[in-house]
Amino acid sequence: MSGIMNYNGSAIVAMAGEKCVAIAADTRYGIRELQTVSCQRQKIFQLTNKTFVGLAGLATDVQTMASKLEFSLKLFELREERVMQPKTIGNMISHTLYQSRFGPWLTEPVVAGLDSAGDPFMCAFDFIGAMSQAKDFVVSGTSSEQLFGVCESFWRPNMDKDELFETISQCLLSAVDRDCLAGWGGVVHVITEDQIITKRLKGRMD
Amino acid sequence: MRWALCRGSTGPAQSLAVGPLFAECTPPARHRAMVEMPTLTQTQGSLGREVPARVRRVRAGLGAMGESEYSFSLTTFAPSGKLLQIEYALNCVAEGRPALGIKAKNGVVLATEKKMASVLIEDTSVQKVENLSDSVGLVYAGLPPDFRPLLKKGRKEAQMYFTQYREQIPTSQIVRKMAAIMQESTQQGGVRPFGVSLLMAGYDENGPQLFQVDPSGSYFGWKASAIGKNHVNAKSFLEKRFTEDIELEDAIHTAILTLKEGFEEAITAENIEIGVVGEDRKFRVLTPAEVQDYLGEVE
Amino acid sequence: MAMAAIDTSFLNDSSGLAKEEAPAHSQMGLRLGDLQTLAMAPVASPSTFCVDMKASGEAPGLMDFKHGTTTLGFVFQGGIIIAVDSRASMGSYIGSQTVKKVIEINDFLLGTMAGGAADCSYWERHLAQMCRMYELRHKERISVAAASKLLCNIFFNYRGRGLSCGTMVAGWDKHGPSLYMVDDRGDRFKGQRFSVGSGSTFAYGVLDTGYKYDLSVEDAVELGRRAIYHATHRDGASGGVVRVYHVHEKGWTKVIAGEDVNELHYMYAAQKGMTGIE
Repeated sequence: MSGIMNYNGSAIVAMAGEKCVAIAADTRYGIRELQTVSCQRQKIFQLTNKTFVGLAGLATDVQTMASKLEFSLKLFELREERVMQPKTIGNMISHTLYQSRFGPWLTEPVVAGLDSAGDPFMCAFDFIGAMSQAKDFVVSGTSSEQLFGVCESFWRPNMDKDELFETISQCLLSAVDRDCLAGWGGVVHVITEDQIITKRLKGRMD
Repeated sequence: MRWALCRGSTGPAQSLAVGPLFAECTPPARHRAMVEMPTLTQTQGSLGREVPARVRRVRAGLGAMGESEYSFSLTTFAPSGKLLQIEYALNCVAEGRPALGIKAKNGVVLATEKKMASVLIEDTSVQKVENLSDSVGLVYAGLPPDFRPLLKKGRKEAQMYFTQYREQIPTSQIVRKMAAIMQESTQQGGVRPFGVSLLMAGYDENGPQLFQVDPSGSYFGWKASAIGKNHVNAKSFLEKRFTEDIELEDAIHTAILTLKEGFEEAITAENIEIGVVGEDRKFRVLTPAEVQDYLGEVE
Repeated sequence: MAMAAIDTSFLNDSSGLAKEEAPAHSQMGLRLGDLQTLAMAPVASPSTFCVDMKASGEAPGLMDFKHGTTTLGFVFQGGIIIAVDSRASMGSYIGSQTVKKVIEINDFLLGTMAGGAADCSYWERHLAQMCRMYELRHKERISVAAASKLLCNIFFNYRGRGLSCGTMVAGWDKHGPSLYMVDDRGDRFKGQRFSVGSGSTFAYGVLDTGYKYDLSVEDAVELGRRAIYHATHRDGASGGVVRVYHVHEKGWTKVIAGEDVNELHYMYAAQKGMTGIE
């Protein structure tokens, strides 16, 4: 990964359960890679009542991209009088990223949501919009190798919302404990058909 | 350029040609008039500028026509509040070959007359019902050449929507886009309105839908509608025949019967065109053979 | 220098490895047999092989031994406090959270490690050997000044060859406590307060604020602990546990063997009436 993608540090993971999906991120905001400036950085953004996006990468682009996506989503909802489905959001993000192919947004998004049938949808992108979908979990950020390792070990099919919360939380915390650039607390959103559960995680602060 | 100001006032929009008044001007001036046509709105008297003497003279000559002196520019309101160019465009549509659409319970049918001006024209070279996207099709009444750029732009919009969202554009959205394109040419300088009305049929999440778009850019959803020549009669025929629970097959029959009402000669598979979209969400123009089968059914 | 094309064919045939010429420090009456002659790469410029390899880009990451660290030491009325963290990072990856960064050279001398783990531990072990040789020869313990200078001379000899070390040598000799900072460029400073490593700026902030010569041993230990904790919180490459040593007249004592900085975080937060996650 290029240096600029490590500049602020981030760990983002999304995981599917039975009729539920969860997305989690660390909360560190670092600068010049190693210097921790804040433990309150938002990296996950709610786009619709059933879809969240996690944005790993350069903080300034993360914030701008979050605004841009919110703008697009709101405009779509006003224009078409319907809520965009997570898959369509994924396609739109892919398109948006590729629009800047030669001056890219330095962010690698993760989309997690429930579709109109209540089934989980998850996908991740590289920073110029190549989409990869997965049925189990997707990861992004500086801790992605670590996240792949733990998720590969701990993910099980058909988890209910409580099991899903426990699994994604442990995976995130274990992963960031092996990454200098992420951690310092975390946040988890579990999306179910009738509620969104948001919890903050207490993590190692070093 | 001023010659355009005193163009024939009652004709349909497409006759915006600098026509009969050319006789009054000297050859160099005529040449200039043609070249500078597009900037016509910039020198119009109604913008509060001093009106050149010659224009005043010309206007005085036509003064008896009242509102018509506001008809030179479609972006200028007549004192009555009308945009006359748009009304002329509607007149043009009302002179076009009839077209109609019926929204059935399980699909939509579009039908149009395709009578040729001469028996020598290859009727297979003319197509009036077209696909905009997989699930949306349209038919027009009015000027065939005006329809072509609209179709091209509409297809591009549908395709752009698909590349952005990887999903088919909803009928209502492509209708909105088409209406926006048509509206644009009622407010810009140097253009004239499209001389066509559209009937657009689609099937999506919201079921079967039928829309009519007019040259002004206004659009409405319809259960059944008709445009072009005889549209008033056709509409009252449809009002009598239409039921809420009509099946697509019956709607196709009704469409043919409606066309038949206004037809001056024998209806054939070659001189009408039918497009349908059903629950498979695929808009399709029927082949002459299929049309022939339906013609057999209604006889 | 032709950096672009380094002949690395020797990697397939180790018999070609040369021995380095006897280094200068072995001429100073402290020769230790073969131990200090290291195999050299049989390339045009063996002495700058590591640096050249790095510059060539042929082996990305191979020569990046550096790891982030926070170490500190200060002299006070009760002797010297040495405090370190325990994280070993390789790039942004955390290799270990339980590294020992204080090397116990002998009963009266401590060395700290920052930079390349292998370089520091090797040369400080080597220093321990030389110090023991000195003791045997001179029937008295080596002074801190002399010990640190031995290390400094080694670094000076290997200057430009890609060593990566930032160390402190602390000890008590017949002159009392003294603290030296020695690094891979051959620098050697005597001083009252030092901090070395990627987290050093953060540690200095706390250290300079809380430092007084008259600190009690207890308060001095707490100052060291707190400075390391703050550095681990702010520096991504520092973390794990705090280890604190006290150097005094009778040698050194391990005061804190290893205290998790995460627990310190919530403890210090609670002292300030905070939850620790803000």
